[in-house]
Amino acid sequence: MIHSLYRAVAYGAMAAWRRRRLLTLPVITVATGAFLVVLVVALMPAVRRQGEALGSGDSVGRATLAIAVVVLLVGAFEVAIAATRSINQRSAEIGVLSTFGVPPRCTLGALLVEPVATAAAGAVIGAIVGGLFGLGAPAVGMIDDSVQAGDVVVGIILAVGVSVVAAIAASAVPTVRAVRRPPLASLSSS
Amino acid sequence: MTIQADEILVAPSAVEPLEAATGSSRRLLSFALANVRRRPERAVLAVAGIALAISAAVVMRTIASGYQVLGVDAVTDAVGGAPYWAVPAGGIRVDPATGVIMADAPPPELTSPEGWSAERTVTGTVAGHADVALVGRTGATEGRALVSAEGARRLGVAEGATLEVAGAPLTVQLSSEAGSRVTVPLDVADAAGAVNGWLTLRAPPGDPAAPNTVAEATGLVVTSDPAVQPADGAEGLVYSTQRSTNRLGFISFDQKFAALLGSKVSSSFLGLISTVALGLGFVIAVSTFVASVQERRREFGIMASIGLTDEVLYFFLVESLLLFVMAYVSGTLLGGAIVAFAASSFFSLRAWLEAAGLVAMYLPALGIVAALIPVHRLLQQRPVSLLADH
Repeated sequence: MIHSLYRAVAYGAMAAWRRRRLLTLPVITVATGAFLVVLVVALMPAVRRQGEALGSGDSVGRATLAIAVVVLLVGAFEVAIAATRSINQRSAEIGVLSTFGVPPRCTLGALLVEPVATAAAGAVIGAIVGGLFGLGAPAVGMIDDSVQAGDVVVGIILAVGVSVVAAIAASAVPTVRAVRRPPLASLSSS
Repeated sequence: MTIQADEILVAPSAVEPLEAATGSSRRLLSFALANVRRRPERAVLAVAGIALAISAAVVMRTIASGYQVLGVDAVTDAVGGAPYWAVPAGGIRVDPATGVIMADAPPPELTSPEGWSAERTVTGTVAGHADVALVGRTGATEGRALVSAEGARRLGVAEGATLEVAGAPLTVQLSSEAGSRVTVPLDVADAAGAVNGWLTLRAPPGDPAAPNTVAEATGLVVTSDPAVQPADGAEGLVYSTQRSTNRLGFISFDQKFAALLGSKVSSSFLGLISTVALGLGFVIAVSTFVASVQERRREFGIMASIGLTDEVLYFFLVESLLLFVMAYVSGTLLGGAIVAFAASSFFSLRAWLEAAGLVAMYLPALGIVAALIPVHRLLQQRPVSLLADH
């Protein structure tokens, strides 16, 4: 079973690589969210200070982090929308796989590779850029505070984790529905 | 590749294509709903994505509105309806802990115009209560302490209780003033060490209270722009709080001050991130319509080939409107919930409704452009190329 799942994932990765140009926008969207999450976590002392000037540092800090996560989730939904488009375009392919007796679990794994890879790629790119930006901000005089490397790591873990989980969760329903369709319906809807 | 009958959503009514083309808004709406039902997951994802983006904008605007309300109420109480407000060098600020205007230097020493009255106000904090402002004002009733509702809550005093300020026993009288404050006679505030403050200038009845008169008498710069701060080395600055007679005269001083406070929020990290979120929401909308257009090329090819090109645009506009309305409703509710839980000190129904109204103002433009971009590309093509297989 592990072997067949491995092959499904490899097949999914190959398909995702073929469609890489179409995935550029979702990757950029997720990267933007990840960039902001890492930056907000890294620069939280500066964000809180701005908030204190507005009345409540903690409240503004929490709201800013919440919005950064919201941006990340927007990116995850963009990934899921790309996944629905991919599923629709590959409807016949899914039908053929079902007709040849490929287990639904393997087809599901192959189809989920694309959103997971897109979200992970975007999150990693955005998180790394955000981390570098955060660490470099005090050096170029953008903020007065020093940035803790630990905060940057927490931000990167948060950004990558939330992106991938949210992308899987948002893509799961359309993907499962596509896999569960009768082969004939998949073949005729292309 | 054959075209499936059930793929042509206009098919049931296509026996009367021209009527469908010129059909009512109800027909457009039913077409949009039919397309939403055809790809329900995508519609739900698009609405959810746009709603999240809208919620981010609502959060920012609610916090900005809450801050503006706080600041405007504070200015209204500080100025007390006077046409001129002479502030010290270093200017004035809204103290976030108390929600009261505070000055960081004593009132400017100035000579009022002949016949005018000048009322002195000093500010500080109540001893042992940094979150309650102590305001000393000319004309405050002797032996009384006017305490705002929030100030009474923080001090733990009620109407009629005795409050001791700088050794002087004062009878508490609850007031409707904004923020957390105790207003006492000037001598009591002076005794409590409150020395920083400002002056408010009032003209006698019949005097036109011209800015030139004030500028000449006081020797200070007079401005109606709250963004202007006293120049270095100046004794202070006089704000004209009355509506000016220039082309910006329709904007009151309060409104300008509110805009100044709002810009503080929108230029913060919070404001910048929420702007990015809204941009990404727009990207999601465009992306959804691009996908929709690609899948329905043949359908629109048929419509274009029988002369229904404009209707394609209307269909997408109505669909876009539908998605944005659903996203707006859910995003506004979500944004309110985020502020209520994450930044409850800024949440008020008034601030949230103001935010919802402001966000609603630019959504139609976003919705129209999001639909127009992919449809414009579609309509640039000849019907025959739309009908061809891709």
